Amino acid sequence: MIINGVTIDETFAEAFPMKGTRLIITALNAKWAMISAQAFTGFATSVIACGCEAGIERELDETETPDGRPGVSVLIFAMGGKGLAKQVETRAGQCVLTSPTSALFSGLDSDEKEIPLGQNLRYFGDGFQISKMIDGKRYWRVPVMDGEFLTQEKTGVQNSVGGGNFLVLAESQAQALAACEAAIEEMKKIPNVIMPFPGGVVRSGSKVGSKFKALNASTNDAFCPTLKGQTNSELSPEVESVMEIVIDGLTKEDIDKAMKVGIQAVCDLGAENGIRRISAGNYGGKLGPFHFHLQEIMA
Amino acid sequence: MSALTFTLKQAPAQRVDCSALTPTALADKSVADIAAIELVMGNSTARVDSLFDITGDDVTDININNSTNKLDFIGHSMASGKITVNGDAGAYVGQFLEAGEITVAGNTDVYTACEMKGGQIKVNGNTGDFVGGARPGYKNGMTGGTVIIAGNSGDRTGDHMRRGMILIEGNAGDYCGTRMVSGTIAVLGQVGAHLGYAMKRGTLLLQQAPANGISANFNDCGSHTLAFLPLMLASFKKLDSKFAEIETFSRVQRYAGDLGGIGMGEILVKI
Repeated sequence: MIINGVTIDETFAEAFPMKGTRLIITALNAKWAMISAQAFTGFATSVIACGCEAGIERELDETETPDGRPGVSVLIFAMGGKGLAKQVETRAGQCVLTSPTSALFSGLDSDEKEIPLGQNLRYFGDGFQISKMIDGKRYWRVPVMDGEFLTQEKTGVQNSVGGGNFLVLAESQAQALAACEAAIEEMKKIPNVIMPFPGGVVRSGSKVGSKFKALNASTNDAFCPTLKGQTNSELSPEVESVMEIVIDGLTKEDIDKAMKVGIQAVCDLGAENGIRRISAGNYGGKLGPFHFHLQEIMA
Repeated sequence: MSALTFTLKQAPAQRVDCSALTPTALADKSVADIAAIELVMGNSTARVDSLFDITGDDVTDININNSTNKLDFIGHSMASGKITVNGDAGAYVGQFLEAGEITVAGNTDVYTACEMKGGQIKVNGNTGDFVGGARPGYKNGMTGGTVIIAGNSGDRTGDHMRRGMILIEGNAGDYCGTRMVSGTIAVLGQVGAHLGYAMKRGTLLLQQAPANGISANFNDCGSHTLAFLPLMLASFKKLDSKFAEIETFSRVQRYAGDLGGIGMGEILVKI
């Protein structure tokens, strides 16, 4: 398949089941809601070492938040419910509770499973915390130095998908980056997904395993342009730079949509802007139950 | 199916225990079975059909017409459905109510919503004392649900209240929120003397400053913008109440008490 001179490889991205939730962070103004959300989603690019993958879904205006203040919705994913609960609690405690004027709410209702949000953070109130049941949901008012930190007690957890991806193969670094930026711009408009890496783009895609026993992942040498003559390379002579976009989503369908608009945005730049191929990372289909076939998505 | 309607034939001379006439208690009963139920009246019993004319057959939607304040325990332990009381109701309306709705067109007597667990009670008139309270000798009053009082409430509203909301559109009597453990009482009108006496935790939300002032057992914590108030006021919007029309606010004067006890309760006065 070729779109605007860009070859779409006959391959697939391989993704894994994760547990995810959505949180809504509000503040006195949009600036401080964003600061808190950025802190909450910091160091959360990959479960390999961060324990979770998190990102900002979108900004919310006053009409979209529970307390009628500007806010930001964030998505956070982990490999299991317990890991997710730990990450949510520590991040909420250190990055939202501490952030001036902030409040924290669940953005995902789930009948199946819930994890603590403010359930344990309330103890920061040292006995002065106050519970309020509003519309069947419990909230905690924790006294803090700037007033009160308001947080919902629990948030819902949903079976989600992590690790959807595609690779952009370009003639130069600058062209690969420009294409990825264009893709991220479009993908940000899709709800229920995040691209957890810095700016949504990852330049150090990995393969499973390493020659060093201590590591369980290492550089994806088949896509490293400087190794074209040293390894079993996937790259043609014209390709000088490869960048990857990783997508986590609440459902497989959400990732399908994000991949489609992202790949389309890359292809719109086309061969004339140095984009040669779109490929994807997989492990032979043996590890992850979710397969995103590039050509099917773009058909 | 039409609503099951009990129309009182004449005002009873003695108090009648109506706890058997709820959607929960009447589920799967035929009209004939219902007519034969013996209700406790004073120191004897009386068949339902000797006290009421019965029409309709939908036990999930019950009307009690020509009701008087002699009919006690209306909606007792009800877990679903709806009861509409046209007239006054006696004591213990909605005692142990778990879910469902009770609407009283007139006034209610003492212990409305006594130890209520959930659901909603709306009284369009006034209520007696001890709304949402605990039975004498018991420690936990209402533990959930919402009580809306369109008129005035009696004394000791929310005595030993543990969770839930009591919304008073008119005035509250003396000792409002006494011995309250948690939950919220909101008052649009005035409150009587000894507001929050022996209150442990919970919130008394007042639309206007108390004419009698705040008791010396409550300390002024200053004026504050509290983020939970818009959330709570928004939850009132769906109610059939004047509380649905309140313009949202978050700015209040906060008083903490009763400092004669653990002092974790609060009186919030809109400013």
